Amino acid sequence: MSVQSLYGVASLIATTLASLVPGVPGYLVTLLADLIFGAILLAASMINTIVLIWYERKLLGRFMDRRGAMHVGYAGLLQNFADGLKLFRKNTYMPSEADRLGFYTGPTAYMVSSLVIFGVLPISTGWDNGSLPLSLLLALVIFSFAPLFIFISAWSSNNKYSLMGGMRSAAQMIAYEVPILIAVVAVVVVSGSFDLTTIVMEQQNYWFAIPLVLALIVFVAGMLAEMERIPFDLPEAEAELVEGWNTEYGGMLFAFFMLADYLRALIGSILIVLLFLGGWTLPTYVPSALTNFPLAGIFWFMVKTYLVFGVFVWVRASLPRVRTDQLLRVGWLRMVPLALASVVLAAALVVVKCLPLIGCVPGIGS
Amino acid sequence: MAASAKPKEEESPNPVLWVARPMATAARQFVKSLVRPSTIVYPFERLEDPKFRDQVRVESGHPIGIGEVWDNYRGVHALNIATCISCNLCAFSCPDLCIEMVTVPGGDPKHPKKCPQIDYGKCSYCGFCSDACPEGCLTMTTRYELSVSRRPEMVFSPQKLHEVFERKLPMNPIRVERPENEDAIRLDAPLCIGCNACARDCPTNCITMVDTPKPTAKPGEKLPRRIWKEPVVNDSDCVRCGTCISVCPKECLFWGTHP
Amino acid sequence: MWINMGPQHPMTHGLWNLRVKIDGEIVRDIDPEMGYLHRGIEKISEDRHYNEIITLMDRTCYVAGIAWEHLYIQAAEKALHVVPPERTLYLRVLVEEMQRLASHIMWYAAFVQDLGLMSPFLYGMRDRDLLLDHFQSFTGGRLTYEYMRVGGVRNDLPPGTTDRIRKTMDWLMDRFAEYDRLCLGSQIFRTRCDDLGVLKAKDCVTYGVTGPMLRAAGVKRDLRKDRPYAAYDRLEFDIALADTADVTARYLVRMEEMRQSVRIIRQVVDWLDHHPGPVMAANVPRWLGAPYAPIGHEGYLLKRHYSKGVGLSAIEEPHGEATAYVVNEGGEHPYRVKFRSPVFVNLSAAKSYLVGYHVADIPPIMGSVDVCVGEVDR
Repeated sequence: MSVQSLYGVASLIATTLASLVPGVPGYLVTLLADLIFGAILLAASMINTIVLIWYERKLLGRFMDRRGAMHVGYAGLLQNFADGLKLFRKNTYMPSEADRLGFYTGPTAYMVSSLVIFGVLPISTGWDNGSLPLSLLLALVIFSFAPLFIFISAWSSNNKYSLMGGMRSAAQMIAYEVPILIAVVAVVVVSGSFDLTTIVMEQQNYWFAIPLVLALIVFVAGMLAEMERIPFDLPEAEAELVEGWNTEYGGMLFAFFMLADYLRALIGSILIVLLFLGGWTLPTYVPSALTNFPLAGIFWFMVKTYLVFGVFVWVRASLPRVRTDQLLRVGWLRMVPLALASVVLAAALVVVKCLPLIGCVPGIGS
Repeated sequence: MAASAKPKEEESPNPVLWVARPMATAARQFVKSLVRPSTIVYPFERLEDPKFRDQVRVESGHPIGIGEVWDNYRGVHALNIATCISCNLCAFSCPDLCIEMVTVPGGDPKHPKKCPQIDYGKCSYCGFCSDACPEGCLTMTTRYELSVSRRPEMVFSPQKLHEVFERKLPMNPIRVERPENEDAIRLDAPLCIGCNACARDCPTNCITMVDTPKPTAKPGEKLPRRIWKEPVVNDSDCVRCGTCISVCPKECLFWGTHP
Repeated sequence: MWINMGPQHPMTHGLWNLRVKIDGEIVRDIDPEMGYLHRGIEKISEDRHYNEIITLMDRTCYVAGIAWEHLYIQAAEKALHVVPPERTLYLRVLVEEMQRLASHIMWYAAFVQDLGLMSPFLYGMRDRDLLLDHFQSFTGGRLTYEYMRVGGVRNDLPPGTTDRIRKTMDWLMDRFAEYDRLCLGSQIFRTRCDDLGVLKAKDCVTYGVTGPMLRAAGVKRDLRKDRPYAAYDRLEFDIALADTADVTARYLVRMEEMRQSVRIIRQVVDWLDHHPGPVMAANVPRWLGAPYAPIGHEGYLLKRHYSKGVGLSAIEEPHGEATAYVVNEGGEHPYRVKFRSPVFVNLSAAKSYLVGYHVADIPPIMGSVDVCVGEVDR
């Protein structure tokens, strides 16, 4: 197995460890390799999430004519680790009337379900644990577990604000699942596969963002709603609902919510990059110097992801929050028709097998 | 003469790109703050530092401060003990009762010298005390950092206030001029018993007791038992502290219009 | 379901409680509860000499301190039969208009924060700081100014202030255009705020609502024009009016008022440049009345008596029409001081402009009222 992939690194470590103890059965080595792979993935996603929070703070700071975190570590890079440490040390309180099971399972399941998605997201060629034929579908299914867990934790905290926030969250997420899935259908129709790796490979020379711009708009708007970020952060609208569904949470449980929120923001950005912006690939007509260095795939992948997240931050910095009924109206009456239109467009593209701006490329979409 | 406030055409939302205008505005601000955000990194950059101030005023395009804003700042007091005349005016004018007059060395045993001691736990920095100070010995400086770890340290003794004075921080230059024809101390002569209390307690020694002729008693009339002296106030030296009015046992001194 | 929005709630901007009865997301009934911030300023005033009340006025409304100083000082001057010199009147107009700018910018910041807009909040705070710098440069304080005195103001402007004010005004006019692009230019803002919290002119008059809320309903009423005080009758400006009576209209009225304030300030600084003079009336004692006896001097009494008088003044405060009533019975302290807070009245009418809207609409509507609890409870 080559060391060119993450799983290769993991199994190399596993075999090295196993060689220290003679007579270890082969399936145990594979299991160990899987565990190490999972641990590396977990660590990478968590660190990335925390760096993402730093990135948002710095970016938002510049949008707001201030500086953001700047004193802990270089340019405040360690600030979020310090914050996390503080939250970790805090006592967790539960309201006396709250439902214990739901109160504790809600945030944990929310966090875990968000983390699981990283297992199916390809990062670069060979840097995933094999290719799943339905990875896109699996990722979206796990992604849509969230309203359930949010609602569980909101209801079990036995607080009126939490309940209202949970209700809003559930309504909003369910309403925006539909246009997201339809928009994804457009991508699937054009690429002809549910496998994220294949989808990325299909976009080597032309990004789906160009022909499927309608689907991209719907997907970005839907992702903003799914991630509960401004302008669609009304479940946590602090002006009227204090903190929405996590009002009663503090300490590490709150940190779970916070981390999971940013994990989902990261996943949303990654999905946009994978589905519409060509993933880790760059078009073949760019100078090869840009792609011919070690870890180039991951580098470009991260650059794209952070740029997409930067757009989310930009939106957050300049737009107010919408209202529940307006949000739902936009979701059902604008986004769903737009998404349907984008599917029709995608189908038409497949039929003519011809994509704009690039010219006719034979064999695409079949 | 009514301006009807209507949204101007160029400020209405773009009908095609819903949110293009605010996002463009935010992006412009983003580019501007990439050079330098308007925030001041406080412990490292200070507005009262003239060098820093020159970089950031409106004229330079970074609207952080407008310039010479610090000279009139009402911060911690500075007390020049040497010129203090113990007139009590600062303590009288304090709305928060945070000034207490405490004895400092330097007075004679009969009339101890008293200077203000300020409790910064109570002080509201209104500046009435420095406005009231007739000698200009209690002023306010630009010092504003006052964190202490124990509550008693908030109380600044006259000596500590004098240390602030000796640090020669920029003083608040505003001196409230005494208005012309200010109310003066007047005497209701028939009530006076010549007890010398006012002259004794006057911080500026502007009251002198002068003899008054003792009237001859008419038959059947009883002369009041008193010292036949009367206070005369030297108006140009008087600081209008009102101590004499306060100590007068017969309430014969009062505020009156200028003679 | 009744929910308590307050006394500790992000919507309240202060310490008061809005009890809301909701049905789903719709507001069915409301019950404002005020009084959490009552400090008894009127009662304390009866025990202080006339100048010491100024420190209380700064704390009555913490975003428009100098306007309240102006209000009180006008009443106190009438009660004490003191006539301030003319330059003082212009200086007072200058600081009141700058305070109006600062207060409206603060309102803007808080209002957009209620809508979830975070950057304009910081832009507003940044630009307000310039005005606070000006206040600091000639009063010495950034929030509690203690600038007015019975008979005048504490001091004249330091040299160069008028030029700096002109530059700041130019800067601010650019910023107002930026504010408008961020709010009015946003479709989301318009869908949020149009036809929201409507309080028609008739209801405004019935409840006694004043200030920008009244002018947003199309009623042409501004004390600066209707009963000119200080130097307002010698200055040119317009009353900002809108007719839709909703949140957007209040936004527009406040924005237009800020532009008019800039216009007034430009005229005033021009006048101040050419008319030097005293800023304190002659024949006014430096401190009026008998202050507290300090610690250790409880026996001291400083007796001072004035000819009796009654002072009533009304000004167009940034939030609305405020009134002060000072009774001077001849003693060292005022016999009675009474204030009318415009925000108290505007808040009391809350039921008529909140019921029927969504829960999510409460923050922007209450934000458009510009609540300052300090002056509500006094």
